[in-house]
Amino acid sequence: MQRIAVITTVYKYLSHAQHEADRILVGYPRDGKWHRPDMKIVSLYVDQRPEGDLSEARAREFGFHVYPSVAEAVRCGGDKLAVDAVMIIGEHGDYPRNEKGQILYPRYEFFKQCVEVFEKEGRAVPVFNDKHLSYSFEKAKWMVDASRRLGFPMLAGSSLPVTWRLPDVELPLGCEIEDALMVGEGGSDAMDFHALEGLQCMVERRKGGETGVKAVQLVEGDAVWKAGEEGRWSKELLTAALSRSDTPLGLTVKDGRTQDLVHNGELPKLARSPWAYFIEYADGLKATLLMLDGALQDFDFAARVKGRGIISTQFLLTPEPNVTYSARLIGKVEEMFVTGKAPYPVERTLLTSGVLESCLTSRVQSHRRLETSHLNVSYHAKA
Amino acid sequence: MPISRREFIAGAAAAPAVLEAQRRPKLAAVCTIFFRYSHTQHIVDRFLDGYGWNGTHHHPPMDLVALYVDQVDKGDLSRERAARHPEMKIYPTIAEALTLGGSKLAVDGVVLVGEHGHYPQNEKGQTKYPRYEFFQQIVKVFRDSGRSVPVFNDKHLSWNWDWAKEMYDTSRSMDFAFMAGSSLAVTWRTPSVEMPTGARVREALSVCYGGVDSYDFHGLETIQCMVERRQGEESGVKWVQAFRGENFWKAYQEGVWPHDLMEAALCRSHTLTPARAGFNDVFPTFDDMRRLVKDPVAYRYEHADGLKCTMLLMSGLVRDFNFAASLEGQAEPFSTQMYLPMPDGRTTLANFFSPLVNGAEQMYLTGKPTYPVERTLLTTGLTAAGMESLYRNQARYDTPHLDIHYQPTKESTFWRT
Repeated sequence: MQRIAVITTVYKYLSHAQHEADRILVGYPRDGKWHRPDMKIVSLYVDQRPEGDLSEARAREFGFHVYPSVAEAVRCGGDKLAVDAVMIIGEHGDYPRNEKGQILYPRYEFFKQCVEVFEKEGRAVPVFNDKHLSYSFEKAKWMVDASRRLGFPMLAGSSLPVTWRLPDVELPLGCEIEDALMVGEGGSDAMDFHALEGLQCMVERRKGGETGVKAVQLVEGDAVWKAGEEGRWSKELLTAALSRSDTPLGLTVKDGRTQDLVHNGELPKLARSPWAYFIEYADGLKATLLMLDGALQDFDFAARVKGRGIISTQFLLTPEPNVTYSARLIGKVEEMFVTGKAPYPVERTLLTSGVLESCLTSRVQSHRRLETSHLNVSYHAKA
Repeated sequence: MPISRREFIAGAAAAPAVLEAQRRPKLAAVCTIFFRYSHTQHIVDRFLDGYGWNGTHHHPPMDLVALYVDQVDKGDLSRERAARHPEMKIYPTIAEALTLGGSKLAVDGVVLVGEHGHYPQNEKGQTKYPRYEFFQQIVKVFRDSGRSVPVFNDKHLSWNWDWAKEMYDTSRSMDFAFMAGSSLAVTWRTPSVEMPTGARVREALSVCYGGVDSYDFHGLETIQCMVERRQGEESGVKWVQAFRGENFWKAYQEGVWPHDLMEAALCRSHTLTPARAGFNDVFPTFDDMRRLVKDPVAYRYEHADGLKCTMLLMSGLVRDFNFAASLEGQAEPFSTQMYLPMPDGRTTLANFFSPLVNGAEQMYLTGKPTYPVERTLLTTGLTAAGMESLYRNQARYDTPHLDIHYQPTKESTFWRT
């Protein structure tokens, strides 16, 4: 039975740590069975213990220890690395934001402390990092480089790429994508990350593989609608994406009616503070994320693919409290812990982390277009 | 008046827009009540305002031009819809709706939505929605006009089996296309899987929620749209037995229905009520289920070919529709969820009505049902038989009248695109 260390910011009801780590403790629904992983949590580090903290209760019930430092947790209080894998869940908790609005979750700091132990031991174990790697691309890059240097498998990211899709489509590997668009909602820098990774897990399958991002720009407000009028993002793709939405707001909430939000004039009235994230890839592909808070409440994608027309889908975020999409993510984490191989490249999350940071930098630099030569992240999607 | 081919072609060349309008079927909707999130609203609005379909905002290539609404009270939306869509007129009677106020049938299809509204319940707890009565008025117009057009009936046919059978028989004797049923049979599935045609199904089960004479029908269609694809044709159902309350728990403990299928179905749910405070997703024990589910109901029934199925209503434990079956040659149960994006706080649009409306649209265009109405005839009978068993102190109720044979469509008709 594998021994797992959980390193987290906060462990309270419906925090990422609770619903992800609990799945190791009590099992989770997987392929029509209640799956009980052949692994146990043996140690926990929790950075903050606000009201509602569950860490001590879980430790008592499931027979593990809460340690006062990351290093002690991965050593289980001894002097040697004493776990087979590490889950870093640095989401939720009370952390400050920087001038770009990024929450300064200490994922890099947690990861670095694990790596320090690995280096001292001359031995490393697989690491899962929930959500993006760090608010800083430089730190995120250090994390991925360390996993390469020390040769341990690493998985990261959002559950959007692995949740159900309505319809259940995948872009054909090697397809030629002419244009791509994602819509989402829920604010920065939590939900825009999910949306960007949903977008990335689709476009990374294009011909030639991922070659990185050369420039980004974030615009807000009327500039978003103006960009649409100028053809910088495709109304046809937005229509396709919104055709997948189950949550249009406004008149639908008022009297239940269906809406063609792109053409009925309601969109600008509903999305009062839209953000558009423009991404220019090194190979020339242009993609757009529209965050349309107030207009809808789900995440929908559309792309124009050469020879196949428009392909669109909804990334289904299933409801609280089960949030079964996180069971899908933990299924992938377990797969890595068992096989020693990441089921999909961590570079996806590295690039997404960097795109998000640079978009938010664009925003505070008068929404200017930023060249992003540092985001030359290349990788190939899994077949 | 018949027109010659030459005139037809000349007309087409001269005025393609007119021809296009002539080709568009005209529909009449016959409904009980029209309020926000009523079945009428979900269905009629999709014809009037379009809906998301195949990656675009699809406007059905037909015109809903007439509406009859049986009950108009506070919250009515029919007047707002008629004002916003002047092409649709409201008529005071069903006959006038179908004749557009004239003397003969003047539409090319009928949409019958007899769900919601204030109608009395009988002693068995069945709400007497007037689907049969509406249907009778519809076919009277057909008879008086010497012409019939396709009819789509939302949900089951009638609460009364004899009337339901008469509706079916009438559609056959008058030879018009007839469709009915629940969106459960046609909505998304998570995962997106279909029962293999010709599968040898050992046993099937659904875990659902809601009340009897309502969501039980949906739970039965959840099962039937899958098991109808099994080896051999559908051959009907021999008996039904309901279990409720303490009888349900006793039957559960005695293994009347297979626990592994129940687990498989529950593991497809997105809405499993956490049995423990502080945990968001834990598998319930028997005691947890007993505590969470106040009024459990099971309908267990046997098909003529020996297949046994069980529909479980477990309000308090789940808020979705989940299916599981054991298949010969497969070690693990086959399972999925029939996913309803439900506007009860989870979504704002009940988009599971989109594949339902789309299926009806296909019928209005082709004159042929998109999937067999016999499925719904059988589930209508099963719903009534389940209610009958409940009424008869949960005694086993023989159903020789459910000797219903049909073949499913070859192609899947659930939502995948």
